[in-house]
Amino acid sequence: MENKNMVDAVETNANTMSETPSGFKVIWRELRHDKVAMISLVIAATLLIGITVWGSLLNQDKVTEASLLDRFLAPGQDGHILGADPSGRDVWNYLMLGGRNSILIGVSVTLITEFIGLIIGTICGYFGGLLDNVVMRIVDFFMIIPTTLVIILLVKITTHYNAVTLVLIISAFGWMGTTRLMRSLIFSQASRDYIAASKTSGTSNFTIMWRELIPNISSMIITDLTLGIAGNIGLEVGLSYLGFGLPPDTPSLGTMIAYANDPDIITAYPWVWLPASLLIMVLALSISFFGNAIRRAADARQRT
Amino acid sequence: MWKTIIRRVLIMVPQIIILSLIVFFLAKLMPGDPFTGSGKLSPQMDLNQIQAIKKELGLLDPLPVQYFRWIGNILHGDLGMSYAYKVPVINLIAERAGNTIWLSLFSVLLTYLIAVPLGVLAGRYQGTHIDGGISFYAFAIIAIPGFVFYLLGLWLFGYQLGWFPTTGSISIAADGLLAKFFSRIYHMILPAILSSVISTTGIIQYLRSGIIDNTQEDFTRTARAKGVPERIVFDRHILRNSLLPIAAFMGNTITGLIGGSVFIENVFSYPGMGKLFIDSMNSNDYPIITSLTLLFGLMTLLGNLLSDIIMSIVDPRIRIE
Amino acid sequence: MAMIEIKNLKIHYPIRSGFFNRVTDYVYAVDGVNFDIEEGETYGLIGESGSGKSTIGKAVVGLEKPTSGQIIYKGVDITKKSNRSKIHYNKDVQMIFQDSLSSLNPKKRIRDIIAEPIRNFERMSDTEERKRVGELLDIVGMPADSMYKYPFEFSGGQRQRIGIARAVSTNPKLIVADEPVSALDLSVQAQVLNFMKQIQREYNISYLFISHDLGVVKHMCKNMAIMTRGRFVEIGTREDIYKDPLHIYTQRLLSAIPSMSPATREADLAHRKEVEHIYRDEESRYYNENGRVLDLKQISATHQVALPDSELEKLKGGLA
Repeated sequence: MENKNMVDAVETNANTMSETPSGFKVIWRELRHDKVAMISLVIAATLLIGITVWGSLLNQDKVTEASLLDRFLAPGQDGHILGADPSGRDVWNYLMLGGRNSILIGVSVTLITEFIGLIIGTICGYFGGLLDNVVMRIVDFFMIIPTTLVIILLVKITTHYNAVTLVLIISAFGWMGTTRLMRSLIFSQASRDYIAASKTSGTSNFTIMWRELIPNISSMIITDLTLGIAGNIGLEVGLSYLGFGLPPDTPSLGTMIAYANDPDIITAYPWVWLPASLLIMVLALSISFFGNAIRRAADARQRT
Repeated sequence: MWKTIIRRVLIMVPQIIILSLIVFFLAKLMPGDPFTGSGKLSPQMDLNQIQAIKKELGLLDPLPVQYFRWIGNILHGDLGMSYAYKVPVINLIAERAGNTIWLSLFSVLLTYLIAVPLGVLAGRYQGTHIDGGISFYAFAIIAIPGFVFYLLGLWLFGYQLGWFPTTGSISIAADGLLAKFFSRIYHMILPAILSSVISTTGIIQYLRSGIIDNTQEDFTRTARAKGVPERIVFDRHILRNSLLPIAAFMGNTITGLIGGSVFIENVFSYPGMGKLFIDSMNSNDYPIITSLTLLFGLMTLLGNLLSDIIMSIVDPRIRIE
Repeated sequence: MAMIEIKNLKIHYPIRSGFFNRVTDYVYAVDGVNFDIEEGETYGLIGESGSGKSTIGKAVVGLEKPTSGQIIYKGVDITKKSNRSKIHYNKDVQMIFQDSLSSLNPKKRIRDIIAEPIRNFERMSDTEERKRVGELLDIVGMPADSMYKYPFEFSGGQRQRIGIARAVSTNPKLIVADEPVSALDLSVQAQVLNFMKQIQREYNISYLFISHDLGVVKHMCKNMAIMTRGRFVEIGTREDIYKDPLHIYTQRLLSAIPSMSPATREADLAHRKEVEHIYRDEESRYYNENGRVLDLKQISATHQVALPDSELEKLKGGLA
């Protein structure tokens, strides 16, 4: 072993006993320096958590109860911070409740589609071959369908319709994009030597997929998850705006925005629909900015 | 190259068939008679009457029979009757389709007019404030849900500032061919600009990264080393390679616009296919819904086809031998 | 009986083309290859890119499924996955990869990377495992605290040594080394090769040494096979190949080894040109009508060459 010292003196740098930080901590450190990312994170987290908590604490029946005496009250009157809507409901409370519902739907759909996309994408990307071909044909089949239209259609004709069925319907048509993304990411990783090395080390396929491959695409998963949440909340609000999202008696940001379809309301009573519009805009922007920042930070790390 | 195009077109045949099957099964889930819209059925009738009329209309026939009858009718131009309007569906769709298509084309035109210069600027001056500003704009616009963007735009420019009309596709007062033409354009400007702004983001990002990549390529460095003036290096070497791929985006842009017409036409009360779809949904006018879904699906497929064909013409590497 | 015997190994990949993606032809990556490896020996497999040598290596270690043929180890044909699992084949047969960076999982610490085979094939407590990883790192000349670091913190040579440590972790009988030093600087190559030799002496490990570099192979291997287009063109000992190359392909490869002495520069260039000339003229005679390498003919106890019969006659005539 006489070569050892010479070789190490030439090649090794700092020789400390400390552990190097793991992947996530590194990305987090990178993000801390990105001012825009941090601001977005604070705004997004505050909105998401704040609205969900506040909305959950409200009594739904009380908030949705019509009070015709209070119709169209301007902001500041009678204890209504943001005024009242055409049915006399308090805009602020309705906003909180509707926001919470929209957020929950958006997050649920994203979690489901991300999970499905990850599983299917990983299996297809890893095994390839006939299985991959068949599944991809199925994905292509789903992508032929005009999704927004069919979702609206299914919402219309489903009996016993509620928030859960909405989540399932949207998820049924939203998993394809993630699947394709995961599959191509896994493809590019699965051909690398360390996967072959794991196979020769005797590790089973399932363990390889779970412990070796998925951690290597974890930053992409987080990015996709974040951007997905922004997109799916937006989708739910859009569907509710058209009238085909949550059931009519359930508050949603979309139903509030839908008041703007009435030409009188849109000009004369902006407080009815403007807060919800601004809220969804700020929410979507802050989540998206943060998601993009994660992606940039992850890319920067790959290059070292 | 023709081989690729023909092969691609042939792939559409099974796709169209599958689409029609999907629409057929969705239609069978709808109450009433979504194929002919005869209006003879109504929920008030008792069950025996309903069954009898169903039989008469052919709704109890075996599924394949119903399917082929439906397809046969379509190919003859018979899309059934609308419940609500009591006119042939195909008339309704024909009226509205024109509006949607014109709006989409106008939008695509504006999209490229805006996106190409911005993308080129961002790529050329990469790292500067110009690039930062354009990229920020692209990120921000993508993030906002489309319909909120349209709504705020409508409110600001239509209602508050009064610059543009807020509903409809043409002014009732317009008289004479020229006046009608300009009135149409006037009604299209705001929605077209707003929807094109959204579509520009994808093209800008693609163009920008294409220019950045090509700037670092060896052939660019060779040209510079040969002493070619920077302007020509940019125009002939970098631009030409970066611009071609975005032609393929045209198909995707059109597809996106067709799909998004549901939202934009609702916000602007613009009488196109999207608005027709939502109105039909609200009035339970299933024959229109069936035909519209089929039509939207077809247009999506055509948009994809267009994209793929342009791409194969433009990029020799994609051709299949 | 040799430790591992490869018999008539063939690996063909189907080519799909045409409108319906039918199988139209095959790529004959490995087309009928026979050889044995003894205990404690280093067997060299030399060829240029695309010759099929890496494919053979992958088949031996179980990563590639052969189209036909057998690989006999401990009396069992391990081309079948079930047989491999039954006898825990990969405990005895491991691999070192060419690209040290991509062969180590960037998200795993060195300790987990080296311990992976141990965790699959043996039962060790946490402390025992840590001790063993430390031993292995010491064997390849790396400091013990490397085990807490990530692959990107090391240089190419160090990573390759980590790869060797992983391969040795289960006390294998055979290690397939696929171009283990090709991606390294010359000075580092020597260090890594010396480690490999040391390990071989101490633990009596056999190597299947795959390379395109005849200079490196001369240093490491006693027996070797030269291959191209999926078949062997010449098999022999080190002396057979370097002193008495009989196939023109072997001669061409040998002439391409750069020599270190500037004095013989012109002579070397002339020799190389001459060999190239001969190769171009005679090439067609050494392959059959389909371009396939001819069958191997026995020249001596250790030396086999894929000669056409005409050349064989010339040789016999010369010897007689």
